[in-house]
Amino acid sequence: MEDLAGYKGSSLSFLKKAGASIGDVLEVETSWGVVSGTLVPRYLYGDGDHVVLKLRSGYNVGLDVSVLRSARVLAKGQKPSFSASSPPKPSKGLPRVLIIGTGGTIASRIDYRTGAVHPAVSSADLHSLVPELSGVARVQPEILFNVFSENMRPSHWTKIAQRVRKAIGEGFDGVVITHGTDTLGYTAAALSFALVGVPVPVILVAAQRSSDRPSSDGPINLIAGVSVAGTAGFAGVYVAMHLGESDDKVALHGGTRVRKNHTSRRDAFVSVGVPLAAVWGKSGAEYVSDGLPMRGGSSFAPKTRFEEKVVLMKFYPSMPAGLIKAARKIGAKALVIEGTGLGHVSKEIVRELELFVNGGGLACMTSQCIGGRVDLSVYDTGRDLLHAGVLPLEDMLSETALVKAMWVLGNSRSLGKAKEMMVANIVGETTSRSFPGTPL
Amino acid sequence: MTGKQAADGVRVGLEVHQQLAAPTKLFCACPTTKSEEFPYHFERNLRPAQSELGGIDPAAIFEFSKAKSNMYFWNPESSCLVEADEEPPHPLSDSGLDSALLAAKTLGSNIVDEVHVMRKIVIDGSNTSGFQRTAVVGLGGSLKVDGTLVGVQSVTLEEDAARILGEDESSRRFALDRLGVALVEVALDPVAGDPEFVAKVALHLGRALRSTGRVARGLGTIRQDLNVSLMGGRVVEVKGVQKLNLLPKVVDYERKRQLGLIRIAEKLSGKGLRQIKCKARDVTGVMGGTASKVARRELVDGGKVVAVVATGLGGLMGWEPYDDIRLGKEVAEVARANSLGGIIHSDEFRRQGLSEAEEAKLRAELQSGVDDAIILVAGRPSVVDRCVPLLIARLKEAVSGVPAETRAATESGETRYLRPRPGSQRMYPETDIPNIAITEGLRADLAEHIPEDWQVKVARLQREYSLSEDLAVKVYDSDISAEFERLSRELNLEPSVVASVLVDLPSRLTREGVPESALGLPVLSEVLRAVDSGRTAKEAVPDILKAAGSRGLSVSEAISALGVQLAGESQVRGVVDSVVHKHRPIIEEKGDAAFSLLMGEVMKELRGKADGAVVSRILRERLAELTGKKGN
Ligand SMILES: [Zn+2]
Repeated sequence: MEDLAGYKGSSLSFLKKAGASIGDVLEVETSWGVVSGTLVPRYLYGDGDHVVLKLRSGYNVGLDVSVLRSARVLAKGQKPSFSASSPPKPSKGLPRVLIIGTGGTIASRIDYRTGAVHPAVSSADLHSLVPELSGVARVQPEILFNVFSENMRPSHWTKIAQRVRKAIGEGFDGVVITHGTDTLGYTAAALSFALVGVPVPVILVAAQRSSDRPSSDGPINLIAGVSVAGTAGFAGVYVAMHLGESDDKVALHGGTRVRKNHTSRRDAFVSVGVPLAAVWGKSGAEYVSDGLPMRGGSSFAPKTRFEEKVVLMKFYPSMPAGLIKAARKIGAKALVIEGTGLGHVSKEIVRELELFVNGGGLACMTSQCIGGRVDLSVYDTGRDLLHAGVLPLEDMLSETALVKAMWVLGNSRSLGKAKEMMVANIVGETTSRSFPGTPL
Repeated sequence: MTGKQAADGVRVGLEVHQQLAAPTKLFCACPTTKSEEFPYHFERNLRPAQSELGGIDPAAIFEFSKAKSNMYFWNPESSCLVEADEEPPHPLSDSGLDSALLAAKTLGSNIVDEVHVMRKIVIDGSNTSGFQRTAVVGLGGSLKVDGTLVGVQSVTLEEDAARILGEDESSRRFALDRLGVALVEVALDPVAGDPEFVAKVALHLGRALRSTGRVARGLGTIRQDLNVSLMGGRVVEVKGVQKLNLLPKVVDYERKRQLGLIRIAEKLSGKGLRQIKCKARDVTGVMGGTASKVARRELVDGGKVVAVVATGLGGLMGWEPYDDIRLGKEVAEVARANSLGGIIHSDEFRRQGLSEAEEAKLRAELQSGVDDAIILVAGRPSVVDRCVPLLIARLKEAVSGVPAETRAATESGETRYLRPRPGSQRMYPETDIPNIAITEGLRADLAEHIPEDWQVKVARLQREYSLSEDLAVKVYDSDISAEFERLSRELNLEPSVVASVLVDLPSRLTREGVPESALGLPVLSEVLRAVDSGRTAKEAVPDILKAAGSRGLSVSEAISALGVQLAGESQVRGVVDSVVHKHRPIIEEKGDAAFSLLMGEVMKELRGKADGAVVSRILRERLAELTGKKGN
């Protein structure tokens, strides 16, 4: 940590003059009396007019530097040193699970002195925070990179997929990937395609409530994820997140049909149009769906490249045709459209899509209804789209369609082959039958 | 304060938690409604957040080690996703902040320049998040109580916790309706622990907070916590004194308890014991045929019995330096707080049904002499294993006197063990809530709204309206002083009459069974207006209110129904004449001294239908005529 992290403007110069740094115990004289406390960091967007002290009671208060008369350093702060107790001896009989960190923090520890939050990085760290893990598997945590979910790109998906492939070679019984929640569904779809035929469970876990709070959902999702990765009889890419509001059950969602449907709830992730892959309770599997690929399959042929030049667009009333033109201009090789209803767009957009396809682009149609499948044969507009060469993608989620188009273009030699792959069901991204009452 | 108590050096720091009268909760738009039914529920586990320094808060470890799951019950009428910890908190409510700032100003506190909301780790389940959101808004200030200045340490704005509905061995049940309600917490400097003075300080503080007009009223809206210590000793935190009249009792009990523990420690040091050695052994086998009901019950349920041998404590577990204060009780409380009911110590073996032979066998098995105490811990194996180290830790504390604990006040004014005292490092910033700079404009606005000091106001009420101190304080406490002042100015009635109708009468009539809802301010002011305009007499007010309340009548309807329209002067003269006529002999005998008797008779005849002052005037005139004097 920098010496005066976050301070700027007049508060920074005030503190510099006093020779203070973060963690020091200061005594300042205000217009109404003397206040002493530990100097704590200032947040990124805090103004430059206040100094923040943590009082002996533990409370932080902000003091306006313009009314501070003097400051004295009473004691220099000590850097916190943390040594996690050594993890329990791994039990030989337990499965080995690799935990790949990508940026989502599942467990962390707080520096109560300054309020800083530090994520768990080492195995010892993780064990001391989630001690239950030692009874579930021999885990090996490792940080692959550290990016916010919203900053993930296809190149990150490739890196994760390559690390998973290596882990399988290293004999791990399963892999857990910790990830931020925002683009978790995209990464799950990407890994589903890239690792098609994967012989072990690859489980993505995240937390909707930050890991620095006692109520975080992260540890339970992680325990379930590690348990599934290590012991499940099935293989494939899944997302493990809370089934409901309670901490008792964790749902496993197939990687190509999972969507974040709520901004903040623990049970934000849902399987769209398909049953849950499995449900994990406190004592293990409580439900496993029929027809999941079995662990140990021999058809593993990872294809980890992605083509970034794909655009996803949501059609809306009055959408200007210029947007499609713009996509062509930036070199988009494929367009995934979220049409209305069965998969419709306005006349102007149909015309532009036709030009896009004629120019050698791949245009696909999904529906913004989220539930149900597109059908371009029912109305004139649909038939016009078909005529224009737009591919209807059945009930594929638009986000999955985007990721799939990136993957297809990254791993096919001709447009014809790409089109063929695009409409084929490769890892359960489309279904052939819809049912009443299936969850959204 | 008695000399004895001063010598003990009891210090009591008061912490008062007062609910604010804000329309919404502190961090969401939910109303502050109390729910009776809870259609939804969910279950959560909280785990202690680890400190960077490697340590976890002792109170947090304690709660986590109990490994209880928490069931939360909620109703959309009173909670939303924020209380369920399923949505980030909304920005701090303006009205909550304003009210807390005004409370701070009223107490002469210095407002901080920037308010920082903190997360205070609380993992007993009472907060779904595992922490309470709280912010210091003011530092310093003071309160003048009977000429003594009591310092204010801090004024804090915080959210209330969930309401506990019940608890068993494996889970706790909470209602979410109260979670998130805005409270202001005022922490005072410790004062010498004269129980009556402590209660008075609390009363003064409560009145000062009410003077802002921004606090909630009614049962359960104010709660006192106490930090009690004996000279130099460790601080014991006593939580949740709801009723003011319990405060002196709690202080007294805690003083006695702490003194008792010190005397036990003195006894141990007198024996030359500087530490207690403890060892624990499973004696389930030995206890197979026990005569102890407690142990037998646990064993039948598949439990086990562990014996803890504590050196030097033989005879001291049951010793009572003061009435009902003994080490055995303290240890049993720690067991109970951990959901363990079955502990028996050697000083009570006979009373618990263990024979001498059984004890001898046990002592032989454990190789322990009578100078050692044996504590039998019986229960479910997992609970026993968790509790034994905690009980040993408590036994070892016996040499140091008073352990730092958090205790709960009981209904009877005693205290009972809750958990170890939390460490100080249990707060970190609530990063979901931006810091709030207190602007000059807000400061100026606050300065304008500082209420009249309550003591000044009571004195003014006495002076301006000729009220007794008692009545003036009642008017102040009733929170309708504004209405009282308005009506006293507007009506041609004695202010003491207005005051007693507004503050005395309602409580008397509710005791007599008149529903409180029928005694609202509109009804009371209407009946006062009826008296003022001469439609009825003030003497008839209680009957009118009773009739209105029990028969659902309006004030005018009640006046007609009771026939208590005010009698005119001619009617009064008629009644006076007939009474005077009837009692002529007495008047001739006693003269003016017959006045009271005659007054009573006339008022009875008129059954409250006349103004006493008018009756008195007419009666005196009439008597003067008769006795030959001119008036009086
Ligand atoms: Zn709410």
